[in-house]
Amino acid sequence: MNYFLYQGCSLEAGGIHYTVSLKAVAKVLGLSLKEIEDWNCCGASISYVGGNELSVDVLAARNLALAEAQGGMDIVAPCSSCYIVLNKVNYKLQEKPGLLAEVNEVLAEGNLKYSGKIRVRHLLDVLFNDVGLDKIRSAVKKPLNGVQVAGYVGCQTVRPFGEYDSVEKPLIQDRIIEAIGATAVSFPNKMRCCGSGLFLTELTACYELARDILGDAQTNGGKIVSTACPMCQMNLEAYQKRMNKALGTNFNIPVVFITQLMAVAFGLSRKEAALDRLLISADPFLKAA
Amino acid sequence: MDQVVGPKYGSRGGAGKAYNQSFAREVYRNVDSGEEIKMCMQCGVCAASCPLKEKMDFSPRKIFTLIRAGQREKVLSSQAIMLCTSCYSCKVRCPRKVPVVDVMHGLAHYALRQGYKPRAETALFGQKFWGNIYRLGRIDEKDVALRYFLGHGLGQGIKLMMENKNMGIGMLWYKRMKILPERPIKNVKSLRKMLDKAKAMGKGGAV
Ligand code: SF4
Ligand code: SF4
Repeated sequence: MNYFLYQGCSLEAGGIHYTVSLKAVAKVLGLSLKEIEDWNCCGASISYVGGNELSVDVLAARNLALAEAQGGMDIVAPCSSCYIVLNKVNYKLQEKPGLLAEVNEVLAEGNLKYSGKIRVRHLLDVLFNDVGLDKIRSAVKKPLNGVQVAGYVGCQTVRPFGEYDSVEKPLIQDRIIEAIGATAVSFPNKMRCCGSGLFLTELTACYELARDILGDAQTNGGKIVSTACPMCQMNLEAYQKRMNKALGTNFNIPVVFITQLMAVAFGLSRKEAALDRLLISADPFLKAA
Repeated sequence: MDQVVGPKYGSRGGAGKAYNQSFAREVYRNVDSGEEIKMCMQCGVCAASCPLKEKMDFSPRKIFTLIRAGQREKVLSSQAIMLCTSCYSCKVRCPRKVPVVDVMHGLAHYALRQGYKPRAETALFGQKFWGNIYRLGRIDEKDVALRYFLGHGLGQGIKLMMENKNMGIGMLWYKRMKILPERPIKNVKSLRKMLDKAKAMGKGGAV
């Protein structure tokens, strides 16, 4: 199974533990992930400040054009924000030939051209639909029995397209959590927004969003929160202490990537699971090999 | 001034009430995705789904009403247009498939270009974010954060850095921060040319 990996900026820094654990898990599952050469930032959800819509479209289109020129395999985006931006622009370009022509006029500045043939997919989609739960189950060496995980989905992992999972009642992450032996707790706020790229600049509003998600996860029995988006992971984990201070709450709940849970269940080392990169330790609940 | 008799929009649109449609035209013509609001039927589903609704001065639905009512000042200085997190809760439920996020972003971009600063912090951060993309082709998280802090002036910048110190140290300690400065992508020059061209070709901001 060969794919392009669109790593995105976040997965090189704040979300590096997603990359580390993903690569380890991909190896076990036989997924070959090739980096798109010379990729650029997708623009995320804040690029509108500096760029008009066409500039923002071009950022995404350049990556699509590079992928097309480098072999045309499906792009896997582990970051939900990258996934949505690339996918949204991709659909627009496929549906609006006028826009595609305009974008190609711009891409010509770098001798690039996009014809609209690439598919952009979220990592969860590939794990569930291409790899499949059976294969995931058979890779498990140390099932996470008894670990209660709140699978937080958030926004851009499934909204707005709902291509591979329901936009109102998403199930895929929970099915993976169960396939590796853990218990997926259900909590009503699993689809609520965490504040996304606004967290740092709109702290007050975003603390409340984070509190509602973490509180709900905990009340419903979640000991660990799992996510498939680096922005969710960052907002819910790295700001947790400051949020406690600001709101007088008392959370100390680990927030991990779904690939970290998988790595532990596959019997990989603490380092391969990147458990050493967590600000709030998951060690009380997860014992890596 | 285009004073016309407006159609019935929402509860306040009574027949015979005068509307100033020049702002609506300005939005359709100059704001990215601005023409999409023509589809809006004012049902309010977006407002009900929005996680930021309590923080917004006007809900997305109300913003669209104000545009139709010619309230230029209110719309372009509205906090709401920069409080959209792109969560797409509205988009998946809107019965008319209005791309609310794109409209909000288009309005915010346009407002900033016109000299309004609905949310100054997010505007400053976004500007540094875009600066990184233009300079490097990628985002260097620590660089954007530092430039954002110092963008408040030195004194305030240092204060903000202190507030964020523990988090920064945490990220460094757990090896989640790149120590070396990010290097530009190989073809950053042609990327810049593309962005310059797109800026000139797009409608966002043109008056
Ligand atoms: S949900 Fe759609 S149609 Fe309804 S008010 Fe919002 S934008 Fe308009
Ligand atoms: S996408 Fe923006 S406007 Fe729509 S519900 Fe989310 S925050 Fe509100």
